[in-house]
Amino acid sequence: MSKIANRPDWADDEEFDDPTALPPPTITTNKDGTKTKISYTFNDAGKKVKLTQRIRETVVREAVPPRVAARREWAKFGLEKGHPVGPSFDTTSVGENIIFRPSVTWKRDKQEGKDVKEGDGGVVPGGGIDTGSLKQQLKDKKVKCRICDGEHYTMKCPFKDTLAPDGVDGAVGGAAAGAEGVDGDAAGSKEGGLGTASGVYVPVHLRKGGAGATGEKMGGKYERDDLATLRVTNVSEMAEENDLREIFERFGRVTRVFLAKDRETGRAKGFAFISFQDRTDAAKACEKIDGYGFGHLILRVEFAKRAT
Amino acid sequence: MRPILLQGHERALTQIRYTKDGDILFSTAKDQVICAWFSANGERLGTYHGHQGALWTVDVDPTTTLLASGAADNTVRLWDVRTGKCIKVWDFNTAVKRVEFSEDGTQLLAVTEKRMGFLGTIVVLDIDPDVNAEQSDEKKLTITCDESKATVAGWSYLSKYIIAGHEDGSVSQYDAKNGEIIDNVQAHEPDMPVTDLQWAPDRTYLITSSKDKTAKVLSARNLEVLKTYVADTPLNTAAITPKKDFVILGGGQAAMDVTTTSSRQGKFEARFYHKVFEDEIGRVKGHFGPLNTIAVDPQGRGYASGGEDGYVRVHQFDQGYFDFLYEVEREQARK
Repeated sequence: MSKIANRPDWADDEEFDDPTALPPPTITTNKDGTKTKISYTFNDAGKKVKLTQRIRETVVREAVPPRVAARREWAKFGLEKGHPVGPSFDTTSVGENIIFRPSVTWKRDKQEGKDVKEGDGGVVPGGGIDTGSLKQQLKDKKVKCRICDGEHYTMKCPFKDTLAPDGVDGAVGGAAAGAEGVDGDAAGSKEGGLGTASGVYVPVHLRKGGAGATGEKMGGKYERDDLATLRVTNVSEMAEENDLREIFERFGRVTRVFLAKDRETGRAKGFAFISFQDRTDAAKACEKIDGYGFGHLILRVEFAKRAT
Repeated sequence: MRPILLQGHERALTQIRYTKDGDILFSTAKDQVICAWFSANGERLGTYHGHQGALWTVDVDPTTTLLASGAADNTVRLWDVRTGKCIKVWDFNTAVKRVEFSEDGTQLLAVTEKRMGFLGTIVVLDIDPDVNAEQSDEKKLTITCDESKATVAGWSYLSKYIIAGHEDGSVSQYDAKNGEIIDNVQAHEPDMPVTDLQWAPDRTYLITSSKDKTAKVLSARNLEVLKTYVADTPLNTAAITPKKDFVILGGGQAAMDVTTTSSRQGKFEARFYHKVFEDEIGRVKGHFGPLNTIAVDPQGRGYASGGEDGYVRVHQFDQGYFDFLYEVEREQARK
């Protein structure tokens, strides 16, 4: 309630009297002890800018020896003579934050980091380094067939057609592993048997006895055909869906009219989507109605962009 | 941590010093001006003008009233820290490469260059800690280094010894009262100059850095090499951190080679080593050139590094720095 009460009525807005007048800055204290400061300024382009700052004030109390405190009051001299108190921007600046964390294993960590960096340095043309790193990764890995444990790729196994891959038990069988290809040959590890290996997370839709292979599609019964859908903007607030339907029906069969409405006030938001059965009708409508005066506004019609 | 960048110099930094309270730091570069900065916010307090040559060194007395500086114009100057006025000028035959106040601030040593037929010397001057007092012209003690010139020097605990690092990589111990040489050890590789010498808070041991890519902790009493830290680059500077048992080393290849190597492999990083275990525990990046000098806040809150690139970077340590402990240290703390 208080929010609404605080909101100034547009009729009281003094902007009409003086366009250069800025609302006074407001400072409110939040519950967590911070302060919110809202101030207004004009930027270089002459536009009004609202600046909201959240400020937390912390008082740092520091005890210093009296002689140190006395030295802080000393007058400046030399090149600094007569300059105001506080650091000057032309001699003093603050550098970027440095994370310094002493560590016993610093040297070792650095060494490892260096190796990784050298391996990853992928800017080299031809990807020579990249293949090098891949080789390095697979350096101590041996090719092992998942069917017969021989030293060849699974796809080249002579028993490929007669034996199921190792680690896949009968229940899941070749159906899951072989046909679906859920565990590509490249995976090459024992995780192949989905739902069988304990301790490995298997997504619900891939579990044995779970829902079908493909999940249900969201978005209701019928699919919206974006190809024949027009987006209409600059629609009057007082417009109704039926009005729009009347306008567009003369070009062809309209399958859907959607007028965006404000949830609270029930008024139109100013844009709508019209779906035609035929794309040629939609194109015709787009051409004719674009620029058509409706209510007190001029409609703008274009093909809807596919929602991404 | 967010470093504060100080751009008060136009040329390569040569030395940075903190006051005893760590609130102000002084920086010198090859551009004839000393800058004083507040370490907390990087505000420049002022500049000290008067030298006619590249500044090599600066030091502040324990009460932060007097500042000494040495430069290539063959002078040592004494300044009023508060006003920036020059109080006293001592003339020498050659450039002054290093100055350091004794622990009580009543003596000042100056290391002079070997040049134009003059041998390198270490000179001791008496200082009156009062700003308004007339300082004496007399050079109380002159130690001549006839074998190899001294590059750096400093006062040990109780101003008992003067420890000097030499161009040939040796470190020698002199009696601070009469200037007699007590000991000389070849701490670093032969003919690799000692580039920096800084003290532990109690001045019973010191750290030296050298072009031979190592830094060493030596005992001030008998010059025994206690620890060695091995780096992969010639070192220009080394410092011991109070509060935590670390050392910070800085270096990078010689300035003349910088343009021929990329900054990524340039090793322009401050290296942190554990003082006791001699392990490298981390690095801090940031400079575009070799690090010429590192100074540590005597209160242990941070450090500042000055590079060949003309920048001073002031760092305040994070909590992670203070929390870091070796497993054995943690066990010991639990007992």
